[in-house]
Amino acid sequence: MSQVFSAAGFREMRLAWAALALAILAGVAIVAGSHWYGEKEKRDSADYSRRLREARARVDSARRERDNLQQSADVFRTLVDRGMLQTESRLDVVELLNTLRVRYQLVLDYEIAPQRALTLPGGRVFQAVDVLASRVKIKARALHEGDMVGFIDALEGSSRGFYPVDRCNMHRIDVTDPDSLQPRVEAECTLEWITLKDKHANRPA
Amino acid sequence: MKHFLYLTNTRLVSLATSGKRIVSRREFAVSGAGASAFERYLASLATVPVNVFIDLSEEDFRLDTVPHLGGGDRDAVLARKLSQIFRNTPYRHALLQGREAEGRRDDRVIYTAVTNPELLRPWLDMIEKYKVPLEGIHSAAVFSGVLLDELDLLFPHALLVTFTPGDAMRQTYFRDREIKFSRLTPIDLEEGQTLGGMIAEETTRTWQYLDSLRHFGTEDRLEVFVLVHKNDRAAVEPALRDFAQLQYRLLDMEEVALKLGLRPPPLDSTSEEVMVHLFLLKRAENHFATPEMRRHATRRSARIAIAAASVAVVATSLAWAGWHLSQVMQATQADERLEHQISAFNRESEDITRTLPSFGVGGATMRDAVTFYNGSLRDFPRLGDFLAPVSTVLRDHPQVRLTQLAWTASDDPKAMPRIHAIAPHDAPPVKAMPRLATGQALNTPEETANPPFSDGRYQVALLEATVHVPTDDFRGATAEAERIATDIGQLPGFSAEVVESPLDTNPAIALQGRYPERETGSMDARFVLRVIREASAPAS
Repeated sequence: MSQVFSAAGFREMRLAWAALALAILAGVAIVAGSHWYGEKEKRDSADYSRRLREARARVDSARRERDNLQQSADVFRTLVDRGMLQTESRLDVVELLNTLRVRYQLVLDYEIAPQRALTLPGGRVFQAVDVLASRVKIKARALHEGDMVGFIDALEGSSRGFYPVDRCNMHRIDVTDPDSLQPRVEAECTLEWITLKDKHANRPA
Repeated sequence: MKHFLYLTNTRLVSLATSGKRIVSRREFAVSGAGASAFERYLASLATVPVNVFIDLSEEDFRLDTVPHLGGGDRDAVLARKLSQIFRNTPYRHALLQGREAEGRRDDRVIYTAVTNPELLRPWLDMIEKYKVPLEGIHSAAVFSGVLLDELDLLFPHALLVTFTPGDAMRQTYFRDREIKFSRLTPIDLEEGQTLGGMIAEETTRTWQYLDSLRHFGTEDRLEVFVLVHKNDRAAVEPALRDFAQLQYRLLDMEEVALKLGLRPPPLDSTSEEVMVHLFLLKRAENHFATPEMRRHATRRSARIAIAAASVAVVATSLAWAGWHLSQVMQATQADERLEHQISAFNRESEDITRTLPSFGVGGATMRDAVTFYNGSLRDFPRLGDFLAPVSTVLRDHPQVRLTQLAWTASDDPKAMPRIHAIAPHDAPPVKAMPRLATGQALNTPEETANPPFSDGRYQVALLEATVHVPTDDFRGATAEAERIATDIGQLPGFSAEVVESPLDTNPAIALQGRYPERETGSMDARFVLRVIREASAPAS
């Protein structure tokens, strides 16, 4: 081996050593290059995997939303038809109360408070809609308690708007002449006139 | 390609091989003209590594034993011994042959050397001049033992007789496969003497010499193997006579060549081609060449090794890169599949989104609206639904007349609606003095300006009523109030309790009796029921 690693040996074999050095350099470059390329592809693959997960999540979300919306579509259509997502139309309410007053022969006083954001149980809020309500206080007198109950029932079941009655006091009215045509029942009720406001879009016409 | 030189005292045979075959043969005289021709020939083969076999009469052999030592010490001892025995030649070699069976169990050694270095020098000078890679200088005699091994001629005492180019006969004695002695004799036949006769004479003389050195016991027999071509067989065989201590066996050159795979077989009895072929089969160690002489071969081997290492490095890195790239290709194909899947998922998402019912609003708006409706409005209680079952109970109690109802939908089962007591027309003569006077609110604060929206789980109502009973029948009135509370409580989801009795007999409350002068004979006893209905109860 001394013949190889002597000065003369190095001189005589310098081309071989240079070739080996070049080969090592080339090998390192090839390995490093392919490793770099492989790592890049691995990152790309990871990116593809991430994008696939996101795409799959989007599809799943869309499917869920489609299923939910298909189940909810009928309900939502009813809500839209009943004007829940429309701007509060007070004239409609005035006309509704007047119509019911005439139908049930009531002596009617009412008061509609300014619209406000309704506080829901537990402070719950929705991402897409604001729940708005106008508190309506009704004071009515009827000839018969059946008229009064019918009026309230008709108001709650109105095909335009939602008017959940949350409290009601009814009492008899003393009359001096039992045969006279006078109101026999008086009621004081309060209800919420509820509408929804889309946070992200203009309200539908 | 390899180049072999077989040097005898009179001839130099050059054999070039390719693979396991001898592809060319040149023979040169060792005289000046032959040397010049060889030099020209060598120049054309300067890059081919060369091995030199010597088969010279000036090769000497000495047997010896040395103490058994470790590697470095042993080499030093052998080198010293060689320099002592063969001080005038650099071409010397010590061959270890195992250990003695008895005594100190010393190492057995045979020393061999070319005692006249001038025989080799001109040829080696030429080799050095052209920087021919000299791989080794080998003793043909030492190496010839391989022939007996390859032919399975394993005897305790064997004498191998071979012929060399230039008409000489070598006798090499092997004891238990270890060379002990070798001698080269020129073939110089006397008149009337045959080759066989000379062989018989020389081998007999050798036996006597070996016997004088006490190599044989009384029962030992020397097996003499004569490697001879069939052309010379007739001149050899008749003269060889076996006797008790000596037996001759002729090795036919063509049969030996066939057995060793040497093709074409040699054309005469000289053994150089057999030796070269054996060397190709079983490479021998260098005997006489110094490291300095072998430096070109050493460097050539190193260059080849370095080149091989370079190629291996590049090939390995290329293989690694190829493997890596194949992985990348597979990953790329997988990525393409993923890309297709992503595209398919995106298309599906877009299709789903496009076909979603929108009603002009976003899905989240729709979802929130429906959620709010289902959670807060759909099952919100209605007054009519509360009163209907209560009315059926009241119908079964005709003496009870409902005078006032205060109802509220709440998420608090303890909620208490506001009520103002109404005095009956035909009031009882005895009454408790309540904390609240008639016409006052029973409880509960006024509502705030922005009351929270309840979930309406509980419907709570205060029912103020009178029961028409005979005067002073407070027990009957109380019992009737309790009965109606019980009846309402039996409705599904309802519970009821009397919160104001027709006559409150609580000792903590004052009672007042005031009878008029004219009694009517009956009275309307007032009581208040508190009725609760829970939303989870089924609607009646």
